[in-house]
Amino acid sequence: MVNLTIDDKQVTAPKTATIYEAAKLNGVNIPILCHDKKLKPFGACRMCLVEVEQMKGRQIPACTTPVTEGMIIRTSTPDIIKARKMVLELLLLNHPLDCPVCDKAGDCDLQNLTYEYKVDSNRFADEKFHHQIDYNNPLIERDMNRCVLCGKCARICDEIVGFGALTFINRGIETKIGCEFEEGLNCEFCGSCISVCPVGSLLARPFKFKARFWSLTKQKSVCGYCGTGCNLTLGVKDNKVLTTLYDENQGFHNGQLCVRGRFGYQFINSDQRLTSPLIRTNGRLMECTWEEALTAVASRLTGGNSVAALATPRLTNEELFLFKKMMLDNVGSSNFDHSAGYAHAALTEGFSRSLGASASPATILDVQKTDLLLVVKTDSYETHPVIGFEINMGVKNKGIKLNIISDKRGKLSKLPGANTLVHSPGSEVAVLNAIAKSILDQKLTDGSASSIPGYAELEKALAAFTPEAVAASSGISADSIKKIAKDYASAEKALILFPVGQSYPGHNQEMASAVANLVILTGKIGKEGCGVLCMSEKSNSQGAVDMGFYAQNGGMNSLQILDACKNGTVKTLFIVGENPVVSYPNGANVKAALDAVDFLVVTELFMTDTAAMADVVLPACSFAEKEGTFTSTDRRVQYVKPAIRKDVKCKTDFEILSALITKLGGQAPSSPASVFAEIAANTSGYAGMSYINLQNNGAFAPVNVTPKLVASKAAPAVSAESGKLAMVTGSTLYHSGTLSQFGEGPMHVCPEAYVEMSRNDAARYKITEKDLVTVSSSTGSIKLKAKVTPRMPEGVVYIPYHFSETPVNAIWNGSAVTVVSIAK
Amino acid sequence: MNPITPIINGLSITLKHLFMKPVTLQYPDERPKVAARFRGLHALNVSHNKAKCVACYLCPTVCPAKCITVEAGEDDNHDKFAAKYEIDMLRCIFCGYCVEACPVDAIRMTGEFELANYHRKDFIYNKERLLEKK
Repeated sequence: MVNLTIDDKQVTAPKTATIYEAAKLNGVNIPILCHDKKLKPFGACRMCLVEVEQMKGRQIPACTTPVTEGMIIRTSTPDIIKARKMVLELLLLNHPLDCPVCDKAGDCDLQNLTYEYKVDSNRFADEKFHHQIDYNNPLIERDMNRCVLCGKCARICDEIVGFGALTFINRGIETKIGCEFEEGLNCEFCGSCISVCPVGSLLARPFKFKARFWSLTKQKSVCGYCGTGCNLTLGVKDNKVLTTLYDENQGFHNGQLCVRGRFGYQFINSDQRLTSPLIRTNGRLMECTWEEALTAVASRLTGGNSVAALATPRLTNEELFLFKKMMLDNVGSSNFDHSAGYAHAALTEGFSRSLGASASPATILDVQKTDLLLVVKTDSYETHPVIGFEINMGVKNKGIKLNIISDKRGKLSKLPGANTLVHSPGSEVAVLNAIAKSILDQKLTDGSASSIPGYAELEKALAAFTPEAVAASSGISADSIKKIAKDYASAEKALILFPVGQSYPGHNQEMASAVANLVILTGKIGKEGCGVLCMSEKSNSQGAVDMGFYAQNGGMNSLQILDACKNGTVKTLFIVGENPVVSYPNGANVKAALDAVDFLVVTELFMTDTAAMADVVLPACSFAEKEGTFTSTDRRVQYVKPAIRKDVKCKTDFEILSALITKLGGQAPSSPASVFAEIAANTSGYAGMSYINLQNNGAFAPVNVTPKLVASKAAPAVSAESGKLAMVTGSTLYHSGTLSQFGEGPMHVCPEAYVEMSRNDAARYKITEKDLVTVSSSTGSIKLKAKVTPRMPEGVVYIPYHFSETPVNAIWNGSAVTVVSIAK
Repeated sequence: MNPITPIINGLSITLKHLFMKPVTLQYPDERPKVAARFRGLHALNVSHNKAKCVACYLCPTVCPAKCITVEAGEDDNHDKFAAKYEIDMLRCIFCGYCVEACPVDAIRMTGEFELANYHRKDFIYNKERLLEKK
């Protein structure tokens, strides 16, 4: 800490702080346009000029000058105010005065400063800019005439997002912010540039002219898409969510969001939302009253194990807990599961046997604190973009070494110094085992590793996974496996990340154990910046596991439930929010099962393909309309409160389940809070939590680890047939599950499924970008548009799984790698 | 004082007024002359054959009676215009703040004061009714 004087006040500040940061820390506000706390100091706007006595009265920028001991700083002398007024006059010389029609008005830094410094006239005269305004982009409107050249958009795109879509073009008075070759934006559309723009140069097009900033109610919430658990501020007017707002002090991510979080909110107030319960009469779904619907459902929730349930991990902890309780106590069935069963197997089976806990020991905060990252699949960026931003920042700013094992290259492989090992599809577990074997061979294990149970068995089991043997099957050279093993084991702190989800069947308990073995062998657990983070797919996937909403004690898992529907053992299937027809493997089989089951109940927001097959459809509420808690992938429990009033004709899943419990003769809980109290008392790690102490940033549920080495079985390598390709599924950047199909933002950018292939394969099949190609496997065929990219290795194609129009499950039966043939 | 004097004084005032110009107006046969600054019914100013209003929402923001409803739209030139502009005359207190707040001189108050009507819904003036008549 250093001591300094700011405006005659004795203050202290950290040694690394700039004058701006020191002043802010001590409650002195210095005006600025080009600063954001996540970005590096830049010094573009010259608004933050201050006087430092030691510098002989010169005016220096506060944002780029580090503090020194004994500095005497004055932030608002008459001279400084005069200088700042001049800066504003010069900015307003070119800035159009169209505040009445600019959506930024009210939230505009330039407008606020102009008002604060009473700049009501201009001593200079000049022409305004006449840059062309980009109206064509569906998400980001760029009006460079309003730009004040603070460079924040270009810097956030480069420093945090790592895309670099925007940059300064030209020099002097002709300087402007633009894209490559002065074309339109063609980027990830995360909207980070919009969030930091101090003026109205970059605006969210979906929100254009919808409301003025000051008329919005700011409602804090937690994003309902992926498991990262990003905090959102929703802009609400007239009970409608109109936009998401930026708050640089929100969450671990400091308000940073991805395209889904920022632009995918439209499903909340969509016209397509279900508004009335529906019951099938004479083969058609007809509107009915809640009483009729609930009575019909309750009458079929009898018969013990002939009732089964599937739930989406987008429900709150309270709802999942209540649902499980209803199934066990009131229905008497233990057949319930979520996420197709295998999507949570890494936690519920893998980690629970290897680490003694069904949760990841590391948190997202560890990403920035580690020295070396080992990421399984470049898809980690696509599945959890905000964790991807953390990786970007860590690698670029802190020099974290990035190692990637993946079946394709991706955005993460483009980071400086990233070491990407591309293996043949489906061989990731073998590669991880080979790394473990190499660690053993090179004697790089932690001192205590040999005393951990299972060591001898693991050593024996790994004998088959010599780097040389795996090199032959995986296509990665033995030397690079050995090198990665050495780097990983010798790094002081190292963290492993891998995504799981319905589109990653290969990321199962075997992978979790293989990863856990690495962590345990090298003793990289229980320390800051070490461990493993299994990135769960949906907003409350970890919560669903913590609540125990999966097949246990002889209950059937998702896929067994569907089979049981088909053979008649399960007579009533209660689906809450899942859309298995699209998202579960082998769509034909799922459809046959849902057709065969006697009675199908679906609670949903939309008329999905699954809901269309139901006997009773109950309209439910989205995350913005209900109260509860979400547990993020790193076990941060966060409180969600209603941002808007729900439609009177809809009920939250909590209310639906409570009403059913009452109808089944049970005692319904009074409120989500009372259920949460029960959760806190009964769930390990949740003790002491309550809605009140979760309000601000949530709280981590600690994970207690008892390590055990478990040999993991690697899937046999897929034999490549000549003339055929290996198809892998995955999650694309713009979507999450099937829900994001109802968000206009994601659908503007990525409206349909595609098949991504390498240039060589495209050339071989004479396929060019956007050609309609037929992809067929042993189970069926679909027609998709082709996307030719340099990132795919030869012989591998990738298809995302989110879309109802062309569901990949027509050709995918749930195996990690599917052999397909392609024809134009 | 003589008790008759006050009566005579009073009557003389009455007599004087008998020959003065009357202040009452035989409304509706006679029309009042409305002052230029009178705050009557609003009118939306027109320029280049369209309303000048740019839907900046300053009038509904400043309105103390919350009687103005604006909804913005985007026209073919990507400019902002008021797709909906409504004033609820039953709520309006004719304070004129909307006129004062308008940054583009799009709204003014006319001398029109005969606003009586038979139905509540008739007091809601939409954009069509508010556009100035030429």
